[in-house]
Order: sequence, then C-alpha cells, then structure tokens
Amino acid sequence: MIQTIRLGHLLREAVTTPYRNLVTRPTGAAVRGRIERALAESGCRTALLDFSDVDLLDLSCADEIVAKLLLVSAPCPDRYVVLWGLRDDQVEAIDHVLSHQHLAVAALAAEAAVLDVLGAVDGDARAAFGCVAERGPVSAGAVAEALAWAEARARAALDLLAARRLVRVAGGAFHPLLVA
Amino acid sequence: MTRIVEIPTSFDDRAMDHYAAAFGGWPAGERLLFDARGTTWVSPYGFVAMLTAAQAVAEARGERPILYLPASEDVRRYWARAGFLRHAAELFEVHGKVPRAPSGSSDTLLEVTPVRGSDDVHDVVGRVQEGASRILLEVGLEAKATIGFTMALSEACQNIVEHAGTTGWVAVQAYDWRRRLGTRVVVIAVSDSGIGFRRSLEPTQARRFGDRWSDATALEAAWIQNVSRFRDPGRGQGLAGIKRYLGRWDGKITIRSGTARLANVPAWDREDVPMTEQLPFFPGAQVQVILPALAPK
Repeated sequence: MIQTIRLGHLLREAVTTPYRNLVTRPTGAAVRGRIERALAESGCRTALLDFSDVDLLDLSCADEIVAKLLLVSAPCPDRYVVLWGLRDDQVEAIDHVLSHQHLAVAALAAEAAVLDVLGAVDGDARAAFGCVAERGPVSAGAVAEALAWAEARARAALDLLAARRLVRVAGGAFHPLLVA
Repeated sequence: MTRIVEIPTSFDDRAMDHYAAAFGGWPAGERLLFDARGTTWVSPYGFVAMLTAAQAVAEARGERPILYLPASEDVRRYWARAGFLRHAAELFEVHGKVPRAPSGSSDTLLEVTPVRGSDDVHDVVGRVQEGASRILLEVGLEAKATIGFTMALSEACQNIVEHAGTTGWVAVQAYDWRRRLGTRVVVIAVSDSGIGFRRSLEPTQARRFGDRWSDATALEAAWIQNVSRFRDPGRGQGLAGIKRYLGRWDGKITIRSGTARLANVPAWDREDVPMTEQLPFFPGAQVQVILPALAPK
C-alpha cells in the first residue's frame, strides 16, 4: 500500500503564507509532524512524498523534512519513503542534506522515468540501485550479470540497499520501491 | 552628552569600519546622533547597518538616537523608496523633511525589511520570488542561479531567526557594476544586532580553540567547518549551502561579526582579503552577498 502525501497541501495547513515555498526549520518541522501523523494513521508501508506543487525548497527545510523523517522512521523496517515530482534544484538540496548526514532516499524527479537514489551511497550501491530500478524485481545473480560483477559484490550492494530501505526484498528478489 | 556618528558620504560595506569606529564603544553611554546630512549614497548594507545600530541601542534601553536626514531631497526620496525611512521612524528621532514613500525603484528587489521570525522569512522569500524573478532575469542571472539566489537569501535570513536572538533586517538591490566589474550585480545585505557568531558558538566551540577563541575563529568555525551552536548533526548547512552556491556562480560573501570580518574572495575581487581582525566592534552580524550577473571579465 502506498500513501501519497502532497507536501504543498501540508504546507498550506502548516503556515499561513500564500506562497508555495518550503523554507525555514519551523516550517519543515511542522510539515514533518503532519507527515508522521498521516503515516501513523494510514498504516501504509510506502510513503510517496509529492513535491510537485512546491516551489522553493531550502536546505534547512529539506533537512527538517526529509533527513529527519528518515531518521525517525529508521526503527520501522517495513516503512519506505519515496520522493516524487522533484525539480533539479530540489533534488540538489535534498541530496546535499542527506549526504551530510550519511542518509539516502529513493526519488523520482519530475521529468524522470525511473527511480534514482539521492544522498550518501557508494558507487556499487548506486549502480545496483539503478539496475533494480530499471529491470524490476531481480536476483543478486541477475544484477551481477548485468553489471559484470561477482555475485558476492552484487549481493553486498543489494543488501546495503535493502538495509537502508532503498529496495524491497520479497520472494528472494530485490524489488524497486513502488510509486504507483 | 551626545555622540555624533557621522554617516559616510558613500555608505557601503567598505565604509563599515569607519562607521563602526564612530560609536566608540558598546553599549553607547551617550545619546547617539546619526548625522547623514552629507550622505549622498547608501547601499543596502549601509541601510541595514544603521537600523542595526539603532536596534542595539533600543535593546540596551538607551535613549532613542537622533537621525539627521540627508540634505539632498533626491537622496531622502531614495531612502524612502528603499523602505528605510519607514523603519527608521520606529527606532530614531528623525529630523529633516520626510518625503512620502513612493513605490520602490526598478532596481530594488526587496525593500529594507525586518526579519523577526520564520513567517518573515517566508514573506521575504515569497516577495523576492514573486517580484524579483523578472528583474533577476533582466539583470542577466540564469534561471538556475535565480533559484539558488532565493535559497541563499532564505538561509541568510534564517540565521537571524535561529542564531541572533533578536530582530534583523534584510534588503536586496541590483546594481550596474559595468565599470568596476563589467557586469551587473545583485546584492543581499542582512544584519542583526544579536549575540554574534562568537557568543552563539561559544558554548560548543570555545573550549576546542582555547586561547585562540575570538570573533575571527568563530567566523572560521562557522564558515569553514560548518559548525553550529546546535548539536543536531543536520545543522550548519545554511552557510554551507550559500558557500556552494557562491562557488558555482562566482559570488562573494562577507560576514562581519564583532571585531572580525570574513570574506570569500572570488578571482574578480583583487582588493579584499579573507580575514580581517581587530576591527572596531559592531553588534550582531552583518552578511553581504554579491552575485555577478555574468561571469566577470
């Protein structure tokens, strides 16, 4: 089950501003609080955070919303977060704050067809993530073959992605996170 | 007794130290008289620095300072257009004919605006986005640079809310620097009368620096090491983001706090230096961001 959360909508609830800018830490904290409540009420495993009706996202707000949401949801192994509808500047802001905190999240940029990973992941994990995102559910062996790696290397990269909840493991295969 | 603070004829960041020296010490023991009768030009930095001084006096419960307005009517009208006089009236006993405030000049991206809380930051960012995008593009900034510019503005204003512990001011203006730099520039000036970088970082950083702890080392810790007074590891990224943005678009920042001034000096500025110490004290922190519209020649 996926729950889509429109950040622009939460922003309008959180602050009395006519603008669509996610700026300042207090705003970020208020929006994150609403996201956490929505997730707690829905019981969905995947939260799709929709940024498509947000204009500016500054670093402070990106940290309060995305980085802290990943940190607070870390104890929930079945909870996945995917960002959706991001513009280039928003991708950059989120990538910056997540890298700073050694965190990572799956994201689908506004013009993109497949998921990407933002934040701190090493080259192997990034390549394995791309393979899973493009091919759908795959085994470690299939990823190893596609990337011309030893299977142990592919498995290590995929296990890391699974531990960080960037891919889902089911039936012995690694699945890309669902966005629809 | 009254102490006269002569406002420089041309008041921008380069005249700041001369201006700061005129106060003698802080808190001011005497009533202050800001004499701007001979002033012919003030940058956003000058405007916010004047309001900051008056704010510091008010917070120290000093007597309301006197402000003699410029003798030139054109200059007074510019001050009104820039939004300075509206706020000056709350902090100064203003002497001189106050013109009615016409609408802002075409190069004013943001009038002098108070920053008291995060709602003000939203307002500043929204107004700049709404009104300034067209001007920024006219100035010659690329669309991507405009987004980064607004983000830098947001982070600079948030530093007041998060760290200063008091009210601050912001103003944004576009200038033609064709003779000086061969291009147009956009200038953000942000100032507050708060506790400054050294006191803000003292509880978490001073021990690490020992005897070297000063306004200068506090600025270095914030700018180079991205430290924050908060222990939250996500903090300290505002200045880091500004630094990255300025590096990409060849911009310049100066941060003055207490008795020190830090600058990241781009290649186009051959006059400035990265760090200046033992300056005349001035309360709070003053930040100026200069963004060239095109890569300077």
